[in-house]
Amino acid sequence: LTKFGTEEKKMLKLSWSIKLNIQVLLLQFYSKIVFCFPFRFNYRSTHHLTSNGFYEFLNWFDERAWYPLGRIVGGTVYPGLMVTAGLIHYVLNLLHITVHIRDVCVFLAPVFSGLTSISTFLLTRELWNQGAGLLAACFIAIVPGYISRSVAGSFDNEGIAIFALQFTYYLWVKSVKTGSVFWAIGCCLSYFYMVSAWGGYVFIINLIPLHVFVLLLMQRFSRRVYIAYSTFYIIGLVLSMQIPFVGFQPIRTSEHMAAAGVFVLLQVYAFLQYLKDRLTRQEFQTLFFLGVALAAGVVFLSVIYLTYTGTNKLKCYAKIHIPIIASVSEHQPTTWVSFFFDLHILVCTFPAGLWFCIKNINDERVFVALYAISAVYFAGVMVRLMLTLTPVVCMLSAVAFSCVFEHYLGDDMKRQSPPAEDSRLGPNIKSIVTMLMLMLLMMFAVHCTWVTSNAYSSPSVVLASYNHDGSRNILDDFREAYYWLRQNTDEHARVMSWWDYGYQIAGMANRTTLVDNNTWNNSHIALVGKAMSSNETAAYEIMRSLDVDYVLIIFGGVIGYSGDDINKFLWMVRIAEGEHPRDIRESDYFTPQGEFRVDKAGSPTLLNCLMYKMSYYRFGEMQLDFRTPPGFDRTRNAEIGNKDIKLKHLEEAFTSEHWLVRIYKVKKLENRDRTSSL
Amino acid sequence: MGNPSTEDDTLLSEKVAQLMEWTSRRSVIRMNGDKFRRFVKAPPRNYSMIIMFTALQPHRQCGVCRQADEEFQALANSWRYSSAFTNKVFFALVDFDEGSDVFQMLNMNSAPTFLHFPAKGRPRRADTYELQVRGFGAEQLARWVADRTDVMIRVIRPPNYAGPLLLGLLLAVIGGLAYLRRHNLEFLFSKNVWAFSALCFALIMTSGQMWNHIRGPPYAHKNPSTGQISYIHGSSQAQFVAETHMCYAAVTLGMVLLCEAATSPLDIGKRRIMCVAGIGLVMLFFSWLLSIFRAKYHGYPYRSVTP
Repeated sequence: LTKFGTEEKKMLKLSWSIKLNIQVLLLQFYSKIVFCFPFRFNYRSTHHLTSNGFYEFLNWFDERAWYPLGRIVGGTVYPGLMVTAGLIHYVLNLLHITVHIRDVCVFLAPVFSGLTSISTFLLTRELWNQGAGLLAACFIAIVPGYISRSVAGSFDNEGIAIFALQFTYYLWVKSVKTGSVFWAIGCCLSYFYMVSAWGGYVFIINLIPLHVFVLLLMQRFSRRVYIAYSTFYIIGLVLSMQIPFVGFQPIRTSEHMAAAGVFVLLQVYAFLQYLKDRLTRQEFQTLFFLGVALAAGVVFLSVIYLTYTGTNKLKCYAKIHIPIIASVSEHQPTTWVSFFFDLHILVCTFPAGLWFCIKNINDERVFVALYAISAVYFAGVMVRLMLTLTPVVCMLSAVAFSCVFEHYLGDDMKRQSPPAEDSRLGPNIKSIVTMLMLMLLMMFAVHCTWVTSNAYSSPSVVLASYNHDGSRNILDDFREAYYWLRQNTDEHARVMSWWDYGYQIAGMANRTTLVDNNTWNNSHIALVGKAMSSNETAAYEIMRSLDVDYVLIIFGGVIGYSGDDINKFLWMVRIAEGEHPRDIRESDYFTPQGEFRVDKAGSPTLLNCLMYKMSYYRFGEMQLDFRTPPGFDRTRNAEIGNKDIKLKHLEEAFTSEHWLVRIYKVKKLENRDRTSSL
Repeated sequence: MGNPSTEDDTLLSEKVAQLMEWTSRRSVIRMNGDKFRRFVKAPPRNYSMIIMFTALQPHRQCGVCRQADEEFQALANSWRYSSAFTNKVFFALVDFDEGSDVFQMLNMNSAPTFLHFPAKGRPRRADTYELQVRGFGAEQLARWVADRTDVMIRVIRPPNYAGPLLLGLLLAVIGGLAYLRRHNLEFLFSKNVWAFSALCFALIMTSGQMWNHIRGPPYAHKNPSTGQISYIHGSSQAQFVAETHMCYAAVTLGMVLLCEAATSPLDIGKRRIMCVAGIGLVMLFFSWLLSIFRAKYHGYPYRSVTP
């Protein structure tokens, strides 16, 4: 395992190309579209950047989103992703390789995931040995937990952020090991890239000070740690404040205070060490060490307490008070099945790797142990943070497997000091063990391919369903509706829909929207929710006040699609009730027995609200097949209660082929007041 | 001589004064049949009454009544000590054993029940609190009260000192232990202890204990029709506590044993046993995990060696 050399480079290239191949293969079914919701916004911003230049992008005020409020994009977005894509596009065009920006965006994520494999290899090689590094790179190339964010077409911050994370950690470990300013500055530059890419940089800025603090506690203080951290903190702080979105947060918010506290502590400790060399009094030293430890403990605990009370978002207790946070399914805690689904055998073997790391402890392995413990806690609390757990799980499982293979794979006689004749385990047992381990790894690879092809590789804009004979039926209703909007409505028309579809409407239909996935303004979203849950007249007033021209809803009753707006309806009511408790009451939409029903037994408030009317308009006459009555909703498995729907202030503008997307036009006010007689 | 309206007024102010005095002694006024008839049913009245009909006597064995009573008390206390306290809303309680005639008069046969008697007019359907739908949490009750009476009560619960007290106790125990063993602090530096605790923490987190803590699922589910107990939840979106106890510890232990077997200085027989045990543990428990995973993810096509 020690004489790999060029072969190791070949293996790395192999793992990178395997990854690219898997992802690009799966893309061949669908054309190169940038799918999923937040990605449309990132693509639109990148397009704006390449068309108008960097300074226009930084100062961009988007008036086509969050009508009538608008959104200051330059100051509320992490520019790293757009700048990276823009830079690649610029360089390629400079070399006269004409590539459209859309292609750059689509293929950016797989390229960066290959880079992640390489940086994981480097990091694990620093921590353990080369063999473990290679295993780690192979693991992270195919593990499902990371693939979900790095398929081709997934143009989101996490795609480049994980690469930046791993690379920063590699440079940090290198700088702690060597104690040279060169590596520390490299780490700062990589950290700057991470800050520009993702909000998860807070993880780095808390993990590295924690590492330094634990090293102090373990009495492993050395000049190298001092140089590395001091350089990192000062230059990293200054660089991170260059991003407009971050601004002055590093010196104000409690999330960054731990780094400052540890910096001060380190200076004090180093100063005391310096004094100790000059003075020779025994009691002085002991007393000051105790004093330092006590002060350190107090400072650290108070900082943690401040952080805990200040930013409780990660603990999900805000969900009781802010329904928007609770309604995003990625903010839920994690079941064990999710761990197993995303990580398979790795989650079983990574505690073993953790055990080996701690048993053979040194400075770097303290770091990875802390990384593992904090990542596993956060991943247990929020499903979305499984992504930060994946790299460290890959690394530690690689360590565990490397340990096993090291002892069972090599030939005993060829070692440096061959063990005695009778204390060898015997080749039979060793080969059996090796074979079984390889089988486990093969099962892992097979599982990853299955997960990738089934769970993470269909663009959510295009739905695929399978008929009885196994042939695939593609439902392209979303794109059909967006292109209808694009071609048949006025350029300045305003479209009201629920916030999930905001980015898609802005990107694909190119129309002004009221609310979108950024969800930065809860009251505005509550207003839209109130309009959807009130009866038609009250809703019409709200829509007139917001200047709405079209309303777009998703209805899954014809094909049995369960992600439609009626299933999300209760969240609209809850969010609206949070802001307008007098007008909207959640209990009004339930039957007296407490059920949510759309048939005749349903609550009259529900049967007359705008969302119900828009979803089921003309649906009462539609008979899907002769076994069910007309107006049978396939998603809710019920015959709808209110079949004879008349709309007074809206008119139907467009319904897609499978009734998935329905667009209504808001009528203007009457010319003549009808209530006056004559 | 007595103008009916001024007589009414004096009677009303008497009633209100009496109610205020009772409330100052106890936030929730205990009522029997007579008091109920006098203060709630009989005019004149310009105040609302929120009344909980309950059965708190131990021989009634109504656990829900006791829990609801706590929440109701919390709500009434918050109201009484809040800055918006007026003499327009009062909280009262009628126990079945003290005022059974009231229960009969209102045709009530379940407890606990919350009723709102408005100042003007008869109680309507919405004046009965829907306990099944909303639960008896004080915050939900407060919202219902705000709905019916336009009075917003912010529920303030007395700070729970149990948590910090327990923490203080724990710290004291640890400090005591550390002091007793201050000459021999070797165990702090033992790598085995740290490695083992880190391992336990990682295993606890990855087996989904946080999900259990936040969602509070049952231990297992007993199918009411067939009587069969199932320890594994049928879908992949939820889990029972029983599932999380079968964790990955065995596979981890197997891997560790494998490595130790190759490197430890024990004699060869023991090492062979460790090696075989290690690989056996790994394969067996991994197959078991895989089969449970298949049970939850219908459509997962792969099975291991041992189904």
